[in-house]
Amino acid sequence: MKGRTSGVVLVVALLACWEASVRLGIVTSTNWPPFTAVLAAAWHGLADGELVTVIGSSLYRMLCGYLIGSALGIGIGLAIALSRPVRLTLEPAIELVRPVPITAIIPVLIFIFGLDDPLKIVCVAVATFFPVVINTIAGTGAVDPIYLDVCRTFGIPRATTIGRVVIPAALPFILAGMRTSLAVALVVTVIAEMLAGQQGVGYYLISMQYALRAADMYGSIVVLTLTAYLLNRLFVWWEGRLIFWSRTRELEPSA
Amino acid sequence: MTRAGLMGRVPGALFVVAVLAAVEAASRTGFFNSAAVPPPSVVAGAFAGIVTSGAVVKPLLQTLGLLFAGYAIGCTCALVLGILMGSFRRVYDLFEPLTELLRPIPKPALLPALMLFLGLGATMKVTIVALAAFFPVLINAVQGTRSVDPTMIDTGRTFGYGTAAILGRIVLPAAAPYYLAGMRVSLAIALVVIVVAEMLTANGGVGATLIDMQHEFQVRATYGWLTVLAVTGFSLNVLFRWIERRLTFWSPSV
Repeated sequence: MKGRTSGVVLVVALLACWEASVRLGIVTSTNWPPFTAVLAAAWHGLADGELVTVIGSSLYRMLCGYLIGSALGIGIGLAIALSRPVRLTLEPAIELVRPVPITAIIPVLIFIFGLDDPLKIVCVAVATFFPVVINTIAGTGAVDPIYLDVCRTFGIPRATTIGRVVIPAALPFILAGMRTSLAVALVVTVIAEMLAGQQGVGYYLISMQYALRAADMYGSIVVLTLTAYLLNRLFVWWEGRLIFWSRTRELEPSA
Repeated sequence: MTRAGLMGRVPGALFVVAVLAAVEAASRTGFFNSAAVPPPSVVAGAFAGIVTSGAVVKPLLQTLGLLFAGYAIGCTCALVLGILMGSFRRVYDLFEPLTELLRPIPKPALLPALMLFLGLGATMKVTIVALAAFFPVLINAVQGTRSVDPTMIDTGRTFGYGTAAILGRIVLPAAAPYYLAGMRVSLAIALVVIVVAEMLTANGGVGATLIDMQHEFQVRATYGWLTVLAVTGFSLNVLFRWIERRLTFWSPSV
């Protein structure tokens, strides 16, 4: 915390410049509301419940897709990591599909799933899947062979070894993948809502842009960013409780 | 490649072929609605048509041009700032709160705002790509620069290296695997973002073409253009990994 003074001063100074640029008439544009008006719009949106509803509906779709994608990622990742035939069969297909930009798949998914909830849930599930599956494979592969040898020496059944040794040892990796995916999931939800349908914060942003309600648009970006930040903090907290023994505690998600 | 290595590829290839064959059969027999999921052979034909007719050239060049312009700007800014933040405590303290504030913004949410300010053309797209590419590289540049062994820097100093030599001959090579890992993540994000920016602006490029085809319910063409982007994404990834291996051949990947 110490030594951050200069940085906080910089942030405050930039916001003050923003505010002053409008109040003093240096910039006069309907696209450039003063910072305080943006905060006021965010506050009103939250207080009258409009933004809460909009972001809540986005979060609902996001979480559905996120849970499906994470479950598939962990399941398939474990299968690949634990069985050589499964790895040889599935891994090339995953490596083939993974670099395809998720946004490119959306138009095709519209043909299959329409414009509403199923489309967005599938998009999020697909985007969530890849970081989780990759990290699950890496984490399971990184389990210290000595642990496995010890299990074998003591004649512990394979299922027990997997459940009590392999999965806990891989958990920090799996959770790191899920943390990356969480940020990706929110981004993909917003993108899918911008491109299709009439729900959620993505659609709200676009409609505020068309309506030239700049303050409301920035206000919803502020609230959305706050949501992303809180989701990440919540996940980090949960992660810390779940893998309290793990020493690698690093903050590095990005979207 | 060894014989065993080749044999190891057989199940993977068979699986991909089997999935394509199953989709082909399901679509031909009407198990899948072929208006939503055309047979892969038809998609391959559409893709071949797009490529051989030359229709692919203009949109793809536009998309790649904007992608690389934005990516280069974003990576350069992030590397410069990240190396400074990683090297000097004061620079870190000055910019850390600002970056922590801006980093969680879902970047595509800024698209509507940027469209108001910068219009629907190249400037807006280059800006959003640069913004999206910036943060992963910045985080890795800070961490990578900090991870350089101080002994190496001290040794350089003992042998009379100046700041420029320490930076160019010790820090940059030692931290390169981190920088490149960040840039690889950013490249994937940049492609996602340029496509969505093009889709929202209908102003040329592969993304715009793709969404046009979808709006016109040209199912085969939509799948064909998706294949164009899939091949692009795959090739960019392979190309980057090749460059990464050549530049940091001594490093087991980070």
